[in-house]
Amino acid sequence: MKRNALVISAVLFILAGFAWAGWANFEYRKQASERLLASVAKGEFVTDPSSGEPQYVSPLQGKPAPEFTLEDLNGKKLSLSNYKGKALLINFWATWCAPCKIETPWLVELRNQYAPQGFEILGISMDDIDRDAPEKLSGEKKEIARFVQQQQMPYPVLIDGDSISKPYGGLDDLPTSFFIDRNGTVVAAQLGLTSKDEIEAKIKKALGERK
Amino acid sequence: MSESAVRIAASVTFFLAVFVVQAGAQNTATDLTARSASKPPAVQYLYPEQITLPAGKPTTIALHFRIAPGLHINSHNPSEEELIPTTLSIPDGFGVSLDHAVYPPGSDFTLPLDPNAKLSVYTGEFTIQARLIATAGNHLVEARLRYQACDNNACMPPKTITAAIDVIGN
Repeated sequence: MKRNALVISAVLFILAGFAWAGWANFEYRKQASERLLASVAKGEFVTDPSSGEPQYVSPLQGKPAPEFTLEDLNGKKLSLSNYKGKALLINFWATWCAPCKIETPWLVELRNQYAPQGFEILGISMDDIDRDAPEKLSGEKKEIARFVQQQQMPYPVLIDGDSISKPYGGLDDLPTSFFIDRNGTVVAAQLGLTSKDEIEAKIKKALGERK
Repeated sequence: MSESAVRIAASVTFFLAVFVVQAGAQNTATDLTARSASKPPAVQYLYPEQITLPAGKPTTIALHFRIAPGLHINSHNPSEEELIPTTLSIPDGFGVSLDHAVYPPGSDFTLPLDPNAKLSVYTGEFTIQARLIATAGNHLVEARLRYQACDNNACMPPKTITAAIDVIGN
């Protein structure tokens, strides 16, 4: 009787171990699938046959832009689906990114120029935020808000971009932008600083205009 | 519970345990493959690997680092407030503390698309003069260097690398 109780206790203990192993395995597989998703969506530079220049090509091109919901600096939630029917530029940036600082005034000008045609920009900050530390979070939001104010960004700015980086290819380098047409399809992408003209050409593509 | 039922339960448990251990081993192997395929860090710690210091006496050691070609990192005193400075630290608990660090001055750098904005950066190899205080004994210290790297057109997120130094406090 005593021996049976001992065996049953051991079996229960091991079964608890299995439950833990199962959970750990589930977490691991979730992370592995996110890594795979990021690697599948990761773009690369290929030489453009017409210009001979390297051109960033994302595997997301020709596919629906991955859906997301993020908060703005006031805590208001915004989703990609809120912008159905508009041509969009999703611009991933950070306050510590010097090339982003050069690019942003161009984006502001282009946004104001093309907004009447149904164009909008969503600026997504990749700055680290600490949701578990409210005081720190408030300081981090202030830093982002200061940059937004300095740059006079007239378009929605969302935070915690890192949480959606995987379906957008990992976003290892900034600035990175995706150009989305009115049907929600990614028509072009851009990694790093290029030129205002190049950005404008891609905006026109998203708006469905010919070059 | 009958003797045979207990035996069956024990056998099933044993086989499940073997399965879980195998699955764990597979996960570790896959994890290592994934890690080995990831991007190498922009900054690498070069040397020294081992130093001997008089215990309790502040001693300055030169720590050498190398930045990957084509990249730059912000200096310890970047030109703009938002930019992330290069910073050395030694966490508590290693038996060695960082008393003071002298960073090299940054070089002026301008991005080709904005010649007016000057950045203060490190490129190539750089050295930090770290004044350390070690307690007596052997300490495997993991100093940390936080930096943020960019090339001419794009920036990578801030990163912290470890500089492993065997410190002998005599």
